[in-house]
Amino acid sequence: MNKPLIKTVDLSKWYGEIIGLNSFEIEISSGITGLIGPNGSGKSTFLNLANGTLKPKTGQITVLGQNPWMNSKLMSNIGFCPDYDNLSDEVTGREFLELVGGLHGIKGIKLKNRINEISEVVGMKDELYRKIGGYSKGMRQRIKLAGSIIHEPKLLLLDEPLSGADPQVRKSLIELIKSLHNDLGHDIIISSHVLYEVERLTNKIALIYKGRAIASGEISEIRNLIDEHPHNIIIEGNKISDLAKKLLDMKYTISVGYQEDRKIIKVQVSKPDEFFETITELITSLDCEIERMYSIDDNLEAVFNYLVEG
Amino acid sequence: MKYSIRKILFKKRIIIAFLILLTVIGIMGYAGSQNTNRLFTGSELLGILIVTFFMPAICMIYGSSVIRDEIEDKSIVHVFTSPFDRIFAYFSYYFSLVICLSLIIAVVTSLGFISFFAQQGIDGEAMNIYYTFMGLVFLGVFVYSALFLLTSVIFKRPIYFGLFFVFIWEGFIGSIPGNTQKISINFYLKSIGSKQLEYITVNGATDVNTSLMVIFASIIILIIFGSLIFKTKEFT
Repeated sequence: MNKPLIKTVDLSKWYGEIIGLNSFEIEISSGITGLIGPNGSGKSTFLNLANGTLKPKTGQITVLGQNPWMNSKLMSNIGFCPDYDNLSDEVTGREFLELVGGLHGIKGIKLKNRINEISEVVGMKDELYRKIGGYSKGMRQRIKLAGSIIHEPKLLLLDEPLSGADPQVRKSLIELIKSLHNDLGHDIIISSHVLYEVERLTNKIALIYKGRAIASGEISEIRNLIDEHPHNIIIEGNKISDLAKKLLDMKYTISVGYQEDRKIIKVQVSKPDEFFETITELITSLDCEIERMYSIDDNLEAVFNYLVEG
Repeated sequence: MKYSIRKILFKKRIIIAFLILLTVIGIMGYAGSQNTNRLFTGSELLGILIVTFFMPAICMIYGSSVIRDEIEDKSIVHVFTSPFDRIFAYFSYYFSLVICLSLIIAVVTSLGFISFFAQQGIDGEAMNIYYTFMGLVFLGVFVYSALFLLTSVIFKRPIYFGLFFVFIWEGFIGSIPGNTQKISINFYLKSIGSKQLEYITVNGATDVNTSLMVIFASIIILIIFGSLIFKTKEFT
């Protein structure tokens, strides 16, 4: 069996009274791994412990078989793309890459060639001589990614790289991240609080919640875990009492409750996929007007509460 | 280092250095137009304006912000996640700071000197004053840079410590007669000056070797201490 890229044993990190990670145990192997958890769950803390910018309070973390804390040599094998924007607006994309490349000991013609190479990979070749201040959100993300791969690291740690990007940019970034693994062979750990985004990148995920690793494995297994738990859906509209009655007859419905003047119903279902497959047909068969329908469990926080508390 | 130098010199902060330059030129230029004992007055002005006040103030303004600015804008992460040893990175920040501050303060000192002595007459004795003060400010830059770089790693708001140090510690304690003044850096700089120029008087001045030893020991201790803190610094 291959050695894990990252292995933690009883890893904890807290900031004053705030817990970042709590007895965190995980093993991550090669490929693309999605680190999923709601905001504040400990994803960034984990990545910062992995890149050696934070020191564990207790427990151990090994990255590529080594302890990352105060281990600058290991950094030549790790590329880190943070979730925040730490780019200077005053420099050009090329100057930024020269700086990062220089810090990794790449110089002269080798640096020049490498910048040309990676700027093509991230689709920024024509923008290199522009100041970063004039870049769009997507361009900034791309140049950050270029900076994190300039030294050809084995392992790439990407902290929420899709956050804040519009759908088109997200799509192109997802393609780019895929190609970093498929074409260039980087092992990637990508954090996100949006499950479906990560599903488009990999089928291997780890769930983090309140500083703990609560599940890891194939995405289908996690999906099953999530689907086994009841899902709450709100339907708003006129004349929806018939719909409520019909829904009560469906196998997947656990309960139906009225809210505010019988114009809103809250449906609890055991199989959300089946619900969404059949609901359109039900609505069209009845004389009801639906104004809004949404799942109140779409946020990961709710899903994680299900998984942790059952 | 090239990037750090560029960052130091081309930030808006350079306006402060420019204002200081104008103030020094204004004061020394006005004094130069008066009928005065040129060697004593010129030395006194350079001592008060540059060595006691502006040199530590500029070192404080720049030194306490070099690393702190990068921590605040999070660009320090590039350094922390590179294979570049953090101790060497700290030395690199230090030498970038020393180069930039030496340049800025050399310009301020030179133009201040010219604006006074050009009116009063530049001869061999005046040049001796110039060389002595240039030596003192370079020494001062080395030691104050080491101190304020250290504070930028330790404190979240190093400027408060810097204001206290420059105005109260160096400005006030450094001028108390007796042994108390010996716990300020300024005292040792002026002591060296007083042994080189008869126009500078310091009560209880220490000899040049002792002063140099204290200054170099301070530089070494401050740099070692700062680099070790930087090496073990977490980025949250």
